[in-house]
Amino acid sequence: MLKPLEGSWCLVLGASSGIGRAVALGLANEGVNIAGVHFDTAARAEEVEQLVVDLRGRGVEAHLFNANAAARATRERLIPELAELTGGTRSGGGIRILVHSLAFGTLVPFLPREGWEKQLTPRQLEMTLDVMAHSLVYWTQDLCAYGLLRTGSKVYALTSAGTSQHLPSYGPVSAAKSALESHVRQLACELATSGIAVNALRAGTTDTPALRRIPEHTGYIERAAENNPHGRLTRPEDVADAVALLSRTESSWLTGNTIGVDGAELHAAAGAWG
Amino acid sequence: MADTTTSGLDKEQLRDLVADVLDLDVAEVTDDAHFVDDLDVDSLMALEITVRLEKEYGVRLAETELASITSLQSTYELLGHKLRETR
Repeated sequence: MLKPLEGSWCLVLGASSGIGRAVALGLANEGVNIAGVHFDTAARAEEVEQLVVDLRGRGVEAHLFNANAAARATRERLIPELAELTGGTRSGGGIRILVHSLAFGTLVPFLPREGWEKQLTPRQLEMTLDVMAHSLVYWTQDLCAYGLLRTGSKVYALTSAGTSQHLPSYGPVSAAKSALESHVRQLACELATSGIAVNALRAGTTDTPALRRIPEHTGYIERAAENNPHGRLTRPEDVADAVALLSRTESSWLTGNTIGVDGAELHAAAGAWG
Repeated sequence: MADTTTSGLDKEQLRDLVADVLDLDVAEVTDDAHFVDDLDVDSLMALEITVRLEKEYGVRLAETELASITSLQSTYELLGHKLRETR
């Protein structure tokens, strides 16, 4: 059964830029109220304020919280607030859609390599896994404990082709994405009887601030656009559309998958479609 | 004049803030303990320190200034400088 999204709540982790931001805007267009967590210095304060204005301009409620989504203290502080905001335990309340789009990690090779000043430290590897993978588990645990995820809720985690394709700097993030996809499968099984669907969305190469932090991004962006059989990069809005589409069903049968939202980029033989 | 370099900035208050963010005993945050090499600070904790400093002291730190947040002493000096600048 399909069910309108209007009036429901979406929690976006990583809401201030890139795909998280586009999902917030896309769902707001569908009448979904937005709660978002982002972590930015004051340099981006105006941009974030403008995003709140843009979201509310779509006629929905919107609240963005500047806090470290990977910290337990943040969950302890925000989840009771989210319960209040989203009508918590009321029927029809809670969080219909949870989107994990946290992109913060170390981008260095494992071993010394020409042209690289730094190499990986244990602390940085652990931090990357914690932010980009394990935090999905902790948020899901706590939201379930508060009864904010319920039958019909959808959980999405943003992954990438990095689980099977490696760049010199991307080793820690590849590891995190692999763990994230495993967490998605585990959560899908554990939440099946609760009627909550959990899927990973494998966005294609998308021009976002996170991509631009990857040292090899210049050249890589152009090659990826040429290699995508659509002849262009994935846009953040392409992913927002997928989230809106997949969330309309009450069913939890479509669960435990890594779903490509990449215009078939992963399957295109290199250089064959340019 | 020593007090003009501090701009009324309380070093012990700053030490408390850093210890709180890093979840360390205040005594471990000595003036010269290097955040990364001695206190095992990762880049996420560094961002957390930055965001907290901006909130508590009402300053705006530029990307280039973040590089000088390496110890309590260097952070204290950077903040003192920023606070004088904004007066």
